Amino acid sequence: MPDSRFTPSEPPGTEHLFLGNEALVRGCLECGVGFIAQYPGTPTSDIGETYRRVLQEQPRLRDYITHLWSANEAVATSSCAGAAWAGFNALNPMKHVGMNVASDALSVIALNGPNPGGLVCVVGADPGSLGSHQEQNERFYAWMLHMPMIEPASPQECKDWIKVAFLLSRTRDIPVYFRMTTRIAHSRSKVTLGKFTLPERKMGRFERNPAKFCSLPPYAIDNHIRLYHRIERISREIPSLELNKIVPGDATTGIITSGVPFGYTIEALHQLERDDIPVLKLGMTYPLHEKEIVEFLHDLDSVIIVEELEPFLEVDVARIAQAYGLQVEMHGSDIFPKHGEFNIGLVTTCLARVLGEEPSQRIARARELHDGYKAIIPSRFPTFCPGCPERAMLMEIKKATGNLTDPPTIIAGDIGCYVMGIMPPLKVSDFIICMSGGLSAAIGMSKKVSEKIIALIGDSTLMHTGLPVLADAVANDANVLLVVFDNRWVAMTGHQPPAGKGKLSIKALCNAMGVTWLKVVDPFNVDETIGAIGKALTMDGLKVIICQRECALMASRVMDRERRELQSQDKQYGRRSYQIYNCVMCEKCSELLSCPAIRRTVDEFDNPVMKIDEDRCTGCGVCAQVCPHGRIKTTIIHPHLDAQLKIRRIEQEYDRK
Amino acid sequence: MTGNELGNGKKEFHPAMNEETNHPLNIVIVGTAGQGVITLKRFIEYVAMEEGYKCIYGSEMHGLAQREGAISSHCRLQREVSSNTRENMHSPTICHGDADIVIGLEPVEVLRNAGLLCSEKTVFAINSRDIPPIMVTAGKQSYPSLDEIQEILERYSGGEHDRIYFLNATKIALEQLDDAQKMNMIMLGFTLAVTGLSFSMDACNKVATRELKDSKMNEKAIELGLQSGKNLKHA
Ligand code: SF4
Ligand code: SF4
Repeated sequence: MPDSRFTPSEPPGTEHLFLGNEALVRGCLECGVGFIAQYPGTPTSDIGETYRRVLQEQPRLRDYITHLWSANEAVATSSCAGAAWAGFNALNPMKHVGMNVASDALSVIALNGPNPGGLVCVVGADPGSLGSHQEQNERFYAWMLHMPMIEPASPQECKDWIKVAFLLSRTRDIPVYFRMTTRIAHSRSKVTLGKFTLPERKMGRFERNPAKFCSLPPYAIDNHIRLYHRIERISREIPSLELNKIVPGDATTGIITSGVPFGYTIEALHQLERDDIPVLKLGMTYPLHEKEIVEFLHDLDSVIIVEELEPFLEVDVARIAQAYGLQVEMHGSDIFPKHGEFNIGLVTTCLARVLGEEPSQRIARARELHDGYKAIIPSRFPTFCPGCPERAMLMEIKKATGNLTDPPTIIAGDIGCYVMGIMPPLKVSDFIICMSGGLSAAIGMSKKVSEKIIALIGDSTLMHTGLPVLADAVANDANVLLVVFDNRWVAMTGHQPPAGKGKLSIKALCNAMGVTWLKVVDPFNVDETIGAIGKALTMDGLKVIICQRECALMASRVMDRERRELQSQDKQYGRRSYQIYNCVMCEKCSELLSCPAIRRTVDEFDNPVMKIDEDRCTGCGVCAQVCPHGRIKTTIIHPHLDAQLKIRRIEQEYDRK
Repeated sequence: MTGNELGNGKKEFHPAMNEETNHPLNIVIVGTAGQGVITLKRFIEYVAMEEGYKCIYGSEMHGLAQREGAISSHCRLQREVSSNTRENMHSPTICHGDADIVIGLEPVEVLRNAGLLCSEKTVFAINSRDIPPIMVTAGKQSYPSLDEIQEILERYSGGEHDRIYFLNATKIALEQLDDAQKMNMIMLGFTLAVTGLSFSMDACNKVATRELKDSKMNEKAIELGLQSGKNLKHA
């Protein structure tokens, strides 16, 4: 049965619970979006996930709606432009750092304009770095590219305003910047449905028009002038879009805010019993409607801007106040932190300070008590799942290089689950830049240091931006060992298929690019893998080791599904079990591997021992090969039964030696 | 601060009182990746919808934290929508000190991610089965004992014991249902028994049938948790 929240038959006016991201998809289904392309990235991955699920459950929609996982953000954005130029509304979600990649294409697409279709870029910002390697404030791209920017503050607004964004894009021939944050993308509330609307046509057409679609001189300048006209026109139309609203109040201090910080602000004011403070909630944060800002500021002595990260609204509001000669005291980045995510407690405390109010003691007491004991909380940073092939590989790299000292070895990290290699106890990654930045830096470094260099990259990162870097490494004869984690999923972002999945041989690709030494290894064969790494490090030039095992989380999900299936049929099954007998507590397993399924505990005589949590162990068998005392043993429970549960092994035929 | 007064002169409230004040009922659910924090949160939201809560808002964390990391989610339920915007919920996350109920699927995670949100009014339902972080297994840090955790949580209520309840729900899930994943639903049943969160079994079963794959097993899990909680309360 298809999820009724996304079906045409669900009547308008019904209420359902939606995540911000899901509500956005519903909004797209209400305004005839015909094309979606994205490279997955938290917090926007589940937009594509939701689409994929909807199209799977309702195959009929596939005649009208195309959903693609793209190789990277620039590819996705240009794909969307292509569909828009054929007359469709195209949706292009990306994470904040994805904008860095997409901006190259967007800087031109903005000049050309998406007409006859529409283009909306959904950008997932991440204040607080909740799901990203950094928290850049990408809002400034809106200024640079002249993209009108809309910021929803609730799932309902995600749904309603994405429709406004498409309307604007289509009628004004401009790509629209729809700015989400991790918090709003992953917040859930009731949303009232509107009318389901399919695209008018299944196929569109492209009409040749070089002056519009080829932004080179002289057209580039014409289109630049046209872009100014488009954005100026939109700035005049803002009130008619009804995205901005004022929560009235008669105090002489006012607040300007947008997005989720509006929610924190309004609850903070209520707590401080300052419901008299007027709040201007901006739904459109670029461009600003100058008259609207001036009218709001007119009767105020002071104004507070509540926004996360670098001052953005603050700069623009200050510009307007100055241009109109308004004498108004302004606060914002002077009282709020310019980094991290906000919450009600923080906003209450900061506002209380400028407003001269007493914040609730409950907030102070909660902080005080928490500060009093937080030192005893053991840290829990993200780490590889039990049975993860990447953990095994990193352990093997450490063993093959005498803990990176023999031979002295530098590890070039990259973006993917293996970023977690920087954390103790593994600590394998000496620097990390951006997608494919590791191998890139390794090329330069290999020319200037005598240490060995091992660069890490995942299969989807390789397809994202890694291929040109690989070609460069071959051409420039970089003395680097490249380890490719071929785990068949874009795992970190929630398991989307990588570009080329099921069709692409990384081995054949490397060979075709001129790699002369290459080996495919199974990281669960510890000695063989260590041998391969050792061998590779004795050679000069670019070497590649492909570490081939499916992501353990996905593989164990498949195994769980099989187990539930057997259970539901009341069938018995056999399985492999790993246990530790007579542990001597040398602690090598935790020091070298630190699999989360192995815990430190005590035996019946209160002696410390290591123990395997059976419910968490996936049966990869790596720990048994690591224990120097041979104390980790494996048995098969019910070996005689036909049904045997085990972690699946998928390989591509042509990659086998 | 006296018993019934907060810093700014506002009345203290207890979960049972939220109905009268229309203040949101704030539930925090914490645990580690893979324990079913988000499934449990969504389940509670669906049941709340069945039970007629007009406003449901909350936040869940996806992404990086899914790799053995700490997970927390906030679930806020409000009976009525007020005509005065300023009296309604607008934030998906809960204010410091404003949690009414904390459901801890892992003990130390209660301290980490719920601690800042607790106060004298908070009631705790905690799965006592720990998942030691790798730094503990590596012997670099230590894991506080359950007694220590209990002592810390009692600081919020000024030493009252009737607000902190432990249950080894993972053990029950493994021994009685042969599926560690059902621990979260056992904890839901347990929460219903010990915290005063008043969801009917009918509503729970209805949602289980509609939203979960093996609904029978889940219903059984809720029942097991509920019974364990009742037994504990009467012991
Ligand atoms: S490596 Fe073997 S003997 Fe050493 S602590 Fe681990 S299980 Fe025990
Ligand atoms: S076999 Fe050992 S290393 Fe593999 S998942 Fe089980 S405990 Fe972890």
